[in-house]
Amino acid sequence: MAAKKRERLDVIRDILNTIRENRQIKPTRLLYASNLSPQMFKEYITELVSKKFIVLNVDGKEKKFFSLTKKGQDFLVEYKVIESFIENFGL
Amino acid sequence: MELSTFILENKWILELFYMFIISSICIIIFSKTDKFFKLSLHTGIRYFRNAFLFYGFAFIFRYLFGVFSDLSFNYSDILKFTFEYFFIMAGFFLLYSLIWKKFESAKKEYSSLFNRRIFLFSIFAVVLAMLDVIWATYYFMFISQILIFFFGIIISYSNYRKNGKKHKFLNFYLIAMLLGFSAWILNFLAESVFSWRHMVLTDIGLINVMFFMLFLYGVIKITKNGS
Repeated sequence: MAAKKRERLDVIRDILNTIRENRQIKPTRLLYASNLSPQMFKEYITELVSKKFIVLNVDGKEKKFFSLTKKGQDFLVEYKVIESFIENFGL
Repeated sequence: MELSTFILENKWILELFYMFIISSICIIIFSKTDKFFKLSLHTGIRYFRNAFLFYGFAFIFRYLFGVFSDLSFNYSDILKFTFEYFFIMAGFFLLYSLIWKKFESAKKEYSSLFNRRIFLFSIFAVVLAMLDVIWATYYFMFISQILIFFFGIIISYSNYRKNGKKHKFLNFYLIAMLLGFSAWILNFLAESVFSWRHMVLTDIGLINVMFFMLFLYGVIKITKNGS
């Protein structure tokens, strides 16, 4: 049986959860962990950065890391409520 | 004093109270769902939120139309057109929030108020409201809303059958749709059969309050518990 396609909100939750669990994560590692195509990954990351859920930090050695913002943390807390709202109202 | 006499003597105070209650409920639902929408950018939430924003405006303009047409204000037709436009659009938004997945992808590329589909709804709403103004009737709005809520009942019943045991509010959603449908049927009968009898209008008002209360209950309960 084919696995159920992840909804957009589920993908966002998975990306944010991965970043939270790692505190900081390299873009390449996040791409592998997200299980998305590079094109889709780029779209999601652009959206998450523009919504200020995540930020891209560059350390002293010019290495890039994603980390979660306060807004991203708030989203993870609210995610369950939003998911329940969508399901209960059939949206 | 008889109830009907009391209603007649205090008509505009009661109408103001009625408008205030329903518009307040709509503002609460709008602000709660707006927060969810801004966090998730979920299309269904966006249309659901819009529905209650438009219902809020509709009840405010309906009240203004009532007051100004009673005073034989020259431009009351503009108010009639405006309140009908908001009611029809609100109905479209509510129904569309249930079926948007069949027509759009989850990607957000345009505004919820200025996109092709909503523009089409707007044209329908403008035409229906105009026809009602031209023919000095409400039938076009009533029939459009009866149809919208009829489809709403079918969709919410199907949602209830599929997931009703798991998601309890789907049961209330179906009841809310039945109430909305009854209110529009009664509105239609009030114009066509009952000559706007006050007791019928009171019943419609009570049904409408129950309809909005049910949605408010669902929004508050889920926001509080997440279940």
